[in-house]
Amino acid sequence: MIEREGGYGRGWTAVVLLLMTGAVLLTASHSFLAMRVDPPIYPGPGVTHVVALSDYFEGLIGTPADTAVYILEGSEPGGTALVLGGTHANEPASSLTAITLIENAQVTRGRLIVIPRANHSAFTCTEPQEGYPQTYTIETPAGPREFRYGSRGTNPIDQWPDPVIYVNAAGQSLAGSEVRNLNRSYPGSPSGNLTEQVAYAIVKLIRQEDIDISIDLHEASPEYPVINAIVAHEDALNIAAEAAMFLEFEGMQIGVERSPANLRGLSHREWGDATDTLALLVEAPNPAQGRLRGQTTAKLIVEGIDPYYVRAAQRGLLYVPFSAEGHPIDERVGRHLQTVATLLDVYNSYTNDDIVVAGIPTLSAVLEQGLGAFLAPPSGPESGL
Amino acid sequence: MSSPYAEMVPILLMIATFAAMTFAFKLPVSVSLVGAAILGALVAGQGVPLRHLVEGTLGYMDTLLIIATAMVFMRMIQASGLLDTIAHHLITGFESRPASLLVLMMLFAMSAGMITGSSTAAVLTTGAIVAPAFIALGISKNKTGAIIAMAGILGMIAPPVNIPVMIIGGGVDMPYIGFALPLLVLTLPLAVAIVLLLGLKSIRATTIDRSLLPPTYHRQYGWKLYLPLVILVVLIVLERALPSIVPSFGMPLVFMVCALVAPFTGRRMNPLVVARDAIRAALPVMGILAGVGMFLQIMALTGGRGFIVSLLVGLPLGLLYLSIGLSMPLFGAVSAYGSASILGVPFVLALLGTNEIIVASALSLVAAMGDLMPPTALAGLFAAKVVDQPNYTRVLKHCLIPALLTVGVSLGYIATADFWDRFLFWDNRLALYGILLAITAAVAVVILILDRWVIRHRVATGEAQS
Repeated sequence: MIEREGGYGRGWTAVVLLLMTGAVLLTASHSFLAMRVDPPIYPGPGVTHVVALSDYFEGLIGTPADTAVYILEGSEPGGTALVLGGTHANEPASSLTAITLIENAQVTRGRLIVIPRANHSAFTCTEPQEGYPQTYTIETPAGPREFRYGSRGTNPIDQWPDPVIYVNAAGQSLAGSEVRNLNRSYPGSPSGNLTEQVAYAIVKLIRQEDIDISIDLHEASPEYPVINAIVAHEDALNIAAEAAMFLEFEGMQIGVERSPANLRGLSHREWGDATDTLALLVEAPNPAQGRLRGQTTAKLIVEGIDPYYVRAAQRGLLYVPFSAEGHPIDERVGRHLQTVATLLDVYNSYTNDDIVVAGIPTLSAVLEQGLGAFLAPPSGPESGL
Repeated sequence: MSSPYAEMVPILLMIATFAAMTFAFKLPVSVSLVGAAILGALVAGQGVPLRHLVEGTLGYMDTLLIIATAMVFMRMIQASGLLDTIAHHLITGFESRPASLLVLMMLFAMSAGMITGSSTAAVLTTGAIVAPAFIALGISKNKTGAIIAMAGILGMIAPPVNIPVMIIGGGVDMPYIGFALPLLVLTLPLAVAIVLLLGLKSIRATTIDRSLLPPTYHRQYGWKLYLPLVILVVLIVLERALPSIVPSFGMPLVFMVCALVAPFTGRRMNPLVVARDAIRAALPVMGILAGVGMFLQIMALTGGRGFIVSLLVGLPLGLLYLSIGLSMPLFGAVSAYGSASILGVPFVLALLGTNEIIVASALSLVAAMGDLMPPTALAGLFAAKVVDQPNYTRVLKHCLIPALLTVGVSLGYIATADFWDRFLFWDNRLALYGILLAITAAVAVVILILDRWVIRHRVATGEAQS
C-alpha cells in the first residue's frame, strides 16, 4: 500500500490509473505517429527532376527536416524562380499552391524550383492547445485527396528544448518558441539548430542555383494587419508594386508592404540581404489560424467560413473583408497562384533571362472549377522524398 | 453549429461542469478540468478526443518540467541551510535600515524573474531566499507569500526578459526592441510601492527578535554553501549574456544540475527524500496544469475560445479597458503566456494608433496577474509553498490590493500612452535620463527617511512598552 498520509491512495489505485494513462497515451501516440507519413505529391509533366534539400546542405541528410525540392526546367535557358510553400505548416494555401504548381506548371524557358514542405518537420505535428485537425481533404474529380495540417514551428520532438529567448543568426531577440519558426531563422546557420539548418540550406540553394526571384507563400489570420499583401525586400519593391497594380486591374485586391529593416530573420529581409535574389513574401487570409475563430474543424480550413469572423468584420476588427461566404481554400490558393504568375510576368518585363511558365491555373479558373480540378487524382504515381 | 451563439453551449457547459465538480462535489481542480473538457468535447460532437486531451497537456510540458525541477532545487537549498544563512545575513547586515532592506529584498526577489522570464522560477529561487528574512523582520507568513508572489510577477515583466511581451510582439511583428525603459518605469515604482504597502506596517510594529533569526551555516561550511546558487546564476547569466556562444541548457536542466550539487555543500540530508517531498508538493499544481492544457485545447476545438475573444475585443473603447482589466487576468488563470497570446495580440490590434510598445508592456503586466488567479495561481501557489502555508488563498488575499493597484496602473499606462510616448521616447536622452535619475534619487531619500522613522517608532514603542 502506498503511504496514505494526506490522502494518498492504495497501490491498486495507482496501478489502475497507470494502466489507464498508458492506454490513453498509446492511443494518442498512434495518432501522433500517423503524422510522420507524408501524403503523396504527384509530379506533373513539367517536373524534370526531384532532389532533396539535403543536397544543398548535407547536415540535413537523414533528419526529419529533409524535404523534396521539385525542379521544373524549360527547354530554353532563362532565369530561375523559387516558390516556397509550407514554411508554416498551419497555412495550407501555401503548400497547396506549391503542390498545384508541381502538378500543373510547365516551364518553357528558364527554371522554376518549388519546395512544397519547406519546414518538413512542422508537418508532423499540430500546435498544442489550438485544437487543430491533423488532416483535411480536397475534393478532386477522382475522389477526396487528403492533406496534412501541421504546426507553425518545427516539431518539438525534433528540436527541443526552446530557449527562454531566441537570438537568431541575424541578431534579433525573439520569444523562445520562435526558435522553431523557419521564417524567423534566416539566414540560418550550418551549426545551428535544425530549423536554422533548414534556413541555411534554403539560402544556400538560392545562392547555388542562382535564383533570380524568390517567393515565400504564407497565410495570416484575418485580424492581422499584413494580409492580402505582398511583402517585398526593397530590391523587389518595384516588381511587387507593379504586380499588385496588375492584380488590382484584374479585380484582385492586394497591398504591398516594404520589408521592415529592423525585423530580422524573415525570408523577405534575409534572402534579399544575404543573396542576389529578389525576395518576396505573399499573404492570404486564413480564418483557421485566427484567435477569433469558432469551431476548429477541417471544414473551416477548406471552406473558410466562420460566423465569428463575419461579426468581427462588422465591428471593424479585421484587415480583410469577411462575408458569410468566408475565404475558401479555392480563393486563397487561387490568389497565390495568380500572384506568382503575375510576379513572374512583371519580372520578365525587366529582364532578358525570362522565366516562362505555362499551366499555372488562374484565380478565376480555380474559383470556377474548384482547386480539386487542378490536383492529381489521389491514386496517381507519386514522387518525392 | 452554424450560429455563433450555438458555440456558446459547450463553453458554458464546460464552465458549469468545472464549477459543479470543484465546488459541489469537492473533486480536485485537476480532475474537474478534465471532466469539463471531456463534457465540452462530447457536447460539441467531438466524442472523447484522446489525442486532443493529450496534446493540450503537452503544451505545458516545458512548464511542468520547470515547476518540478525548480521545486526540487528550492527544497535542496532549504535542506542544505543556504536559505537560512542568506536570510540571517540579510537581516543582520541591514538591521538599522529596515525600509531599505524591504526594498532591496523585493528587487532581489524580482531578479530571478527578470532573468528567466518566469514568476514560478523567481518565487522558488530568489523569492525562497528572501522569504525567511521577511518573516524574521516581523512580516506574517501570508504577507511574505504575497510579497514574493508579487515580486515574481513584477520580475517576470521587468526587463531584460519579458516573455509575454515577446509573445505579443510575435503576433504583430513587433521586434523586442525599445522595451527596457518602458518596462522599468512600469514595474519598479510598483515594486517599491507594493513591498512598502505590505511590509512597512509590520516591520514598524516589530523589533527583531534575534533568538528567532534563522541560523547561519556560513562558519560551518564556508563559501561552499553558496555553490548551488552561484552555479545557477552563472549558467543562467551566461546563457542570456552570450546566447550565440553558450548553448541553451533549458531551465529544467539548470535547476537539476544545481539541485544535484546542493547535497554536497551544506547540512547533511537525504537527497532522495528531499526530492520526493518536493515532487509531492508540486504534484497538485502539475495536475492542475495538465487539466488546464486539456481545457484550453477543447475550448479552441469547440469554438469557446473564439467566442470569448471575439466578444472581448469587439467592445467599445471605454468597455475595452474594463475588458482588458478583467479578462486578461482571468484568462491568465489558465496561463499568463496564453493570455498574452490569445488576448494580448487582439487587444494590441484593437488599440493600434497608440504607442504599441507602451500598450504591449502594460498588457503583459495585466496578463501576468493571471499568475495570481485560481485555480492555477502559479505565483500565489508556490509562494504559499515557500512560506509553508497549506492554504494558498490566504496568501492570495494579501495580493488583492497590490493586484488591483497593478492592473489600475497598467490601464493608466495605456490611457496615458501618448504622454509616455513623448517622454520615454524623447530624442533628448540626456535630459530624459537626468529626470529619471532625479526621481530615483528622490525615492531613495524617501526610503532612507522611512528607515529612520521605522527605527524611531520602534524605539518609542519599546520605551512605551517598558
